[in-house]
Amino acid sequence: MSAREPLIVQREVKPLDFLAAGETASEFKELLKSLGIPTDICRRASIVTYEAEMNTVIHGGGGVMSLRLEDDAIIIVAEDQGPGIADLEKAMQEGYSTAPDFVREMGFGAGMGLPNIKKYSDKLEIDTRVGEGTTLRAYIFIKGQREE
Amino acid sequence: MKISEICNSLELKVYWMPDEDVDVKGAVVGDLLSFVMGNAPAGCLWVTIQNHLNVAAVAVLKEIPLVILASGREPSSELISRCESENIALASTSLDAYTICGKLYDLGIRNEERI
Ligand SMILES: Nc1ncnc2c1ncn2[C@@H]1O[C@H](COP(=O)(O)OP(=O)(O)OP(=O)(O)O)[C@@H](O)[C@H]1O
Ligand SMILES: [Mg+2]
Repeated sequence: MSAREPLIVQREVKPLDFLAAGETASEFKELLKSLGIPTDICRRASIVTYEAEMNTVIHGGGGVMSLRLEDDAIIIVAEDQGPGIADLEKAMQEGYSTAPDFVREMGFGAGMGLPNIKKYSDKLEIDTRVGEGTTLRAYIFIKGQREE
Repeated sequence: MKISEICNSLELKVYWMPDEDVDVKGAVVGDLLSFVMGNAPAGCLWVTIQNHLNVAAVAVLKEIPLVILASGREPSSELISRCESENIALASTSLDAYTICGKLYDLGIRNEERI
């Protein structure tokens, strides 16, 4: 069988829009389910999408989320033109957060979003530049191959 | 144990109850959304004092069938309507999280041991 064209869905995410929170993640999950992707993979993809979406909403000043479905992988991309991440190594550590107080009161700011993304994806790439923005790319391999 | 049984036995105030009465598998307690996202066992109930819309967002993705708001927290109207549309049971108790969790444990709700 020849390789299919990848399916790509894009959604704009507005800054600090907590009322729309999680909509992109739910939508991507339903879409993947409807395409017959295994439940466990749909779950992982939706958690990755949610955490990336919330980071775009809270830290990135809004941006664009996209879902790309290829033959053997789901790729979730979150792109923003926000402040960027000064110390990525620190940001990847559990418990590190620069979330402002008003979002902490809502239960954000545990500093576990990026670690969750790492845990639930098979491969993670983050390009970030201070003052320019951040692009996060998380891969979930469909046929169970893992890249170390 | 079924959601309705839990709500009745613990005399919870129920805001939304789906038609389908499902079983819960274990429980998670916490107010840090990403912690619950990363650690809740799928299909468990969730005890929290967070009462805003994002609770439903997390519950949907983790397939949490029942959310119990502790310490007399009232859900926001957005949370109630999202729970309705996503079919998540939503209830509250005047008891604090510690006490309600104790009662849930007494009812026999346990988390499977995780490796
Ligand atoms: N898109 C982004 N733009 C700028 N900074 C970011 C972005 N994503 C993450 N960060 C930085 O990395 C830190 C850690 O992110 P992480 O998602 O792990 O935790 P958090 O968002 O602070 O809290 P939680 O996700 O647990 O609610 C953030 O506090 C922020 O400083
Ligand atoms: Mg985060």
